[in-house]
Amino acid sequence: MLKIEDLHVEVDGKPILKGIDLEVGVGQVHALMGPNGSGKSTLAYVLAGRDGYEVTKGRVLYMGKDLLEMPPELRAAEGVFLGFQYPVAIPGVSNIYFLKAALNAIRKHRGEEPLDAIDFMKLSKEKAALVELPDELTKRAVNDGFSGGEKKRNEIFQMALLEPSLAVLDETDSGLDIDALKVVARGVNTLRGPERSMLIITHYQRLLDYIVPDVVHVLIDGRIVRTGDKDLAKQLEAKGYAEVQDAQQL
Amino acid sequence: MNDATRQTLLQSLPTSFNTGPEWLRALRGRAAEALREQGLPTKRTEAWRFTPVRSVVDTEFSREDRSIPSLMSSLPDSVTARSLRQVLQAEPELLEGRLDFGGAPTHFAALNTALFSDGLWIDVPAGTIVEAPIELTHAIPASSDSGVAYPRVLITLGDNAELTLIEIYAGNEVRPLTNSVVEIDLGRNAKMSHARIHENAGLQVGRVDVRQDADSSYRSTVVTLGGALLRFDVRCLLQGKGAECQLDGAYLVDGNDHVDHHTTVEHQASHCRSAQTYRGIASGKGTAVFDGLVIVHRDAQKTEAHQENRNLLLSETATVHTKPHLEIDADDVICSHGVTVGSLDEDQLFYLRTRGIPEDLAHAILTYAFLESIVDRVSHEPTRTRMREALLARIPHGDDIRGVT
Repeated sequence: MLKIEDLHVEVDGKPILKGIDLEVGVGQVHALMGPNGSGKSTLAYVLAGRDGYEVTKGRVLYMGKDLLEMPPELRAAEGVFLGFQYPVAIPGVSNIYFLKAALNAIRKHRGEEPLDAIDFMKLSKEKAALVELPDELTKRAVNDGFSGGEKKRNEIFQMALLEPSLAVLDETDSGLDIDALKVVARGVNTLRGPERSMLIITHYQRLLDYIVPDVVHVLIDGRIVRTGDKDLAKQLEAKGYAEVQDAQQL
Repeated sequence: MNDATRQTLLQSLPTSFNTGPEWLRALRGRAAEALREQGLPTKRTEAWRFTPVRSVVDTEFSREDRSIPSLMSSLPDSVTARSLRQVLQAEPELLEGRLDFGGAPTHFAALNTALFSDGLWIDVPAGTIVEAPIELTHAIPASSDSGVAYPRVLITLGDNAELTLIEIYAGNEVRPLTNSVVEIDLGRNAKMSHARIHENAGLQVGRVDVRQDADSSYRSTVVTLGGALLRFDVRCLLQGKGAECQLDGAYLVDGNDHVDHHTTVEHQASHCRSAQTYRGIASGKGTAVFDGLVIVHRDAQKTEAHQENRNLLLSETATVHTKPHLEIDADDVICSHGVTVGSLDEDQLFYLRTRGIPEDLAHAILTYAFLESIVDRVSHEPTRTRMREALLARIPHGDDIRGVT
């Protein structure tokens, strides 16, 4: 599904990612863990196509295609989804309108007919229920006046609607209390499937109690220093990143 | 030049005024005299610094005045809408002191006073609440002739009267000049909502003068959709204690459009409130000007006045000039003003694109939402819809983003 090869990325001339190799198979859920400043969000943004990130070396293949060549909207149309750590508010643009426009843009790319308003509302209600997002919030301006938890639920709601093949979830757990975390995790788990891969980016092991990954990677200072199964996350929780990094250097 | 039917604006001023009541002849005479002395604005005229009208001043127009606004709605029985020409012939005393109540006009407004041949007077008697909005259309028929129109409208609301007015200034491509004056006199506790749409106009100079008695309320929303050269002034004189006005505007320039909005709010009495919110988008090689002035007189204590102008500059060849200013002579006041000139928010654009929305559509969505927030404040739903449709017709991908807000 996703193959990252020797990826080097600079921001404002400063190296952030220093040779990432990562392969996520079809239907797999990978967790990418690391301390603040290790480059986790940079990787997420590079995968989604944000401006300002210069790839100096390496490549990223998505379903065999060169992902880095595509503009963000084409990546979305091809099935890549980024769940933002800090979803931006867009006053004046209704959530539901924007998602209908987004879904129909993606459907058009797939050669499918656009959904009409009635079918879309039906689908939207069904998906909103998945993350217990109140109907009223789906109709408000995008993330405008949403609480931290509502924003994150809105991200998963969007993911449910757009049905991506590869979802990159950037610190979806940050700012959530335990109840909100459970709701979000349940939504994500419902969306797991044999055709859908996920890359879950997180600082803490806590989220991985609820979304159990197939593979765990540890990113420190722009490099993946350890890869293991879900037990690696538990070790990190117990010992901290410093010790894992030290072990790597030995 | 030998064509006797074509003259510049100043050439078209008669040397004497021989018709109409004495007071009107005097009014017109003073306006003409002021124009002969001061001329029309030049680039050295402060209030016209960013809006050069040399080409208009030098143009020879046909003398024809095709200026009668059409009333598109039926009126309740108690409300009268009469031709100014007819009233001036039959009962001129009714209008004495009611034209140019804001003081001696200058420049284009003076030209209107000197030369308007007809117009409309809408009078809403005290205590009358007009439920359905009244719509006026100032359409200039497409014609190869480039004429000048001098629309003149007087609106008077008695105490406790209420009115919603919608004015549509339609343009065409032959570039006639429309030079309009609308005067509004609000009695005590009268309430007026005024929506005004400038469709893609050729040359247009317009002025709205509002005089407000105690506890009256005036809400204006102006939507300007480009224009080869458009200048619009709105002035509110808050003369009675507790009066309030809200002046909102949304403007859009593209191509070689040049639009210029000036607002003036004069707080002459205490306990009055005013708020101005103008938003604009400049793209192509367009120029947008905003100049907002709040004057607080010495006796106008407990004034609250706010002013905001936000602009999006969407191309390197577009220009925005903005100048909010306050002149405050009272000490117990709350006043604020703010200006921004920026571009579309990169984070918002990126967010939309990561959901599959193409870049140009994402641009259109954010552009429209920026202006629509002004329209959203209009309380009359059909007017809101009409303004939204007018905006959508001018914004790229308008048809694709209907319903976005």
